[in-house]
Amino acid sequence: MSLIEVKDLRKVYRIDQERVVALGRVNLSIDEGEVCCILGTSGSGKSTLLNIMAGLEKPTRGKVLIGGEDITAMGERQLALFRQKNIGFIFQSYNLMPTLTAVENVAMPLMFRGVSRARRDKEAKKMLKAVGLGKRMKHRPTQMSGGQQQRVGIARAFVAKPKIVFADEPTGNLDSHTTLEVMEMIVHMARDHGETLILVTHDKEIAQYADRIVRLVDGAIISDTPNQSIIGREEQAQPEEAATPAKDAPAEEAVPAEAVPSSEMPSPQADDPAPLPDPDAFPS
Amino acid sequence: MKIKDMIVMCLSNLLKRKVRTLLTVMGVVIGTCAIVVMISLGLGLQKTQEEALAQMGDLTVINIYNYGNATEQPLDDSMLEQFRQIPKVVAVTPVYSPETWGSVMFISGKYQYESSIYGVDMNALPLLGYQTDAGELPTGGKYDGVVLFGADSVQNFRNPKSKRWDEVPDLNLMEDKIEIVIPFENDPKNKKSISYKATVPAILTSDWSKNPSPGYSAFMDINYLKKLETEYRKLNGVKVDKNKVFSYNNVVVKVEDMKDVAAVEEVIQGFGFETNSMESIRKPLEEQSRSQQMILGGLGAISLLVAALGITNTMIMSIYERTREIGVMKVLGCLVSNIRTVFLMEAGTIGLMGGIIGVGISYGISFAINTLSMQGGAGGGMGGIGGMGGMSLGGSSIIPWWLVVGALLFSTLVGLASGFYPANRAVKISALTAIRQE
Repeated sequence: MSLIEVKDLRKVYRIDQERVVALGRVNLSIDEGEVCCILGTSGSGKSTLLNIMAGLEKPTRGKVLIGGEDITAMGERQLALFRQKNIGFIFQSYNLMPTLTAVENVAMPLMFRGVSRARRDKEAKKMLKAVGLGKRMKHRPTQMSGGQQQRVGIARAFVAKPKIVFADEPTGNLDSHTTLEVMEMIVHMARDHGETLILVTHDKEIAQYADRIVRLVDGAIISDTPNQSIIGREEQAQPEEAATPAKDAPAEEAVPAEAVPSSEMPSPQADDPAPLPDPDAFPS
Repeated sequence: MKIKDMIVMCLSNLLKRKVRTLLTVMGVVIGTCAIVVMISLGLGLQKTQEEALAQMGDLTVINIYNYGNATEQPLDDSMLEQFRQIPKVVAVTPVYSPETWGSVMFISGKYQYESSIYGVDMNALPLLGYQTDAGELPTGGKYDGVVLFGADSVQNFRNPKSKRWDEVPDLNLMEDKIEIVIPFENDPKNKKSISYKATVPAILTSDWSKNPSPGYSAFMDINYLKKLETEYRKLNGVKVDKNKVFSYNNVVVKVEDMKDVAAVEEVIQGFGFETNSMESIRKPLEEQSRSQQMILGGLGAISLLVAALGITNTMIMSIYERTREIGVMKVLGCLVSNIRTVFLMEAGTIGLMGGIIGVGISYGISFAINTLSMQGGAGGGMGGIGGMGGMSLGGSSIIPWWLVVGALLFSTLVGLASGFYPANRAVKISALTAIRQE
C-alpha cells in the first residue's frame, strides 16, 4: 500500500465573487521511499496540492490519506502533532529563525516534540555535519550564504526523521551551481534514510532528480511518469513544442495502476508526454 | 514543547528587542510605583489616625454603662461572667466605687486618703494595659489587703488637722505603713473601728485614656472591697434594702482586636445594655480613610492601565514582526497552545519585571517621604503632598508585605491580561499566509 494517497482532491478558492479552481479532481498515490517531483508552472496548483498534502490547507472536497490516516479530517492540534512526527519541510526562502544559531534552528522540530536540549543539540550537530556545516554550528542565518542557509534548512527538515519531506522550490533562491549541490544533498538525504521526498518545482532540471515526475497543469495531472523516460524523451521532444497541455494526458502504464484513476482526464496518449511550454522553467 | 524551552524562548524574544522591552517595562514600573506609593500613603494616613485615636482611649475597650434602667437583667457578677464567655473577649472588670463615701479609708500616720477608690478585677489590670511607675501588678488571685495607688494619688493624702491645702505629704506609698480602716461612726480613731494592714505592690502610671483612670485614685480588688463594705455595714448597723437588686454602674470589657469591637458590642447590647467604645469614632474615620485610599489607588491604577495598553501595543507589534516566524513554527509542528503560552509568558514577564522594579523604587520613594516628613516635624506633615486635593496625608508611608505581594501579582496579572488579545492573534495567524509573505 502506498504511503500517501490523494483521492478526488478538489480545491476551489473564492476571490471576491469569482471562483477559481486551483485543483480539479486530483488522484495521486505515492509510495514509501519514493522521490516524487510535482512539476508545474506557477498557477498550476502545485503549491496548493503540496499544502493540502502537508495538512496546511483544507481541500474543498476529497481526502488525503497518509499511512492510512485521513489528514483532511484532523483538527488543528492533531495536525500539528502529526506534522511533528511525520513531516519535514524545506522552503524556498529557507525560513530560518533569524535570531537562532544554526544548531538551534536545526533542533527546533525536536524542541516542539519535547526532546531535551542536550539530546536535540546532539542530533542537530550530527545533521549539520552531514550537510557539511560542521564549522558553522554557532552561526546565525545572517552570517551565512543562501546555499548554507538552505543546507541548514535541509538539516532541519530531516533532523526529526520524518516519514515525508516536502520541498517547495528548494532552490528557487539559489544560483545554478549551488542548486546542484543542494539538490544532490536533499535527494541523497532522502534516499539514505529511506524517506519519501516530495519535490515541488517549476524547473524541469530540478525534476531530473526525482524518481517520478507528476506534471500539473491548471489543477489537473496531465502526466505521471518515471523519470528515466522523461529524460530520454525530453531531449527529443524539446524542439517539437507542439502539444497543448490539456491534451497531453498522463501516461498510465508508467504509473502504479492504482495511483492515477484519472477519470476526469481526457483520453491519454501515453507515449507522448511532451514538455509543456513553460516560460518559468528557465528564468533569464 | 517543554516548559523550560518555552521560558527560554520567551526570554530570548524579550532580550532580542531590549529597548522596546525596557520601555514597556518602564510603563509598568511607573504604574506600579504610583499604585504602591499611593496606597502606602493611604496606609500611613490610616495609621496616624489610629494613633491619634489610641491617645483618646483604648480602641479595643468597650464601656458598659448602667443607669439603673436595666431592670430585667442586673449588671452583676453573673452577667460579667456571661460577658467573659463572649468570643474574643479578653478581660472584663467592673468599675465600682463604695456606696457610702468614707466606708473604707486609708490612713498613714497623720495623713488620710481623701479621693476615689475603685473596685476592679485585679486579674484584668495587666490585660487592660495598666502600667506601673514602680513595682509590679499583683497576680495570683489573693488580693486581700492589696491597694494600688495612682502616680499622683499621694497628693490626695491630707492631714485633716492641717489648714494648708497645698501641702504635699512626704509619703512613700509603697514603703510607708498604710492602714485600711473601716471607721465606726465615721471616726477612724474610734476604738471600735477595724483596721487592716495594706500592702502596696505597685504605683500605677497615670493614663487619662483609661477607664478607670489611675492618676489620682486607688484601686482594690472588687471582692475585697465588697467584703470591707459588708464589714462596714455590720459595724455601723446599716441595713441593706432586700428588694434592691445589686447592679454595677460601669463595666469595662476588653476585646482581642479592634475589628472584634463591633461584634462584641452587638452581643452586649443584645443583653439590653448601653455600650460605648471608640468604635463609633473609629468607624467613620476608617471609612473616610478607606475612600481616600481608593481614590489614591485609583490614581495609581490609571497609570497602570496606560502601561497595560503599552504592553498590548508592544505585543501586537512583535506579532507583526514575528508573523513569519510563527507561521514557520506552526508548519514545523509547533502546537498552537505552545505559541499562546510563549506570548502570554512574554507579556506576563514584562508585567512581573515592571512590578519588581516598581516595588523596589516604591521602597525608595517611601523611604524618602518618611525621611522628609520626619525632618518636617511631627506636626508639619508633608508639605508638598499634604496639600494635594485638600487631603491631608499623614507624614508616613507604609509598605506592608501584602502590598508588595499584591503589587507583584497585580502587575503580572495586568501583563497577562494585556497579552491575552495579542496571544490569540498570534495563534490565529495562518501558517500558509505567514510563510508566503516576503
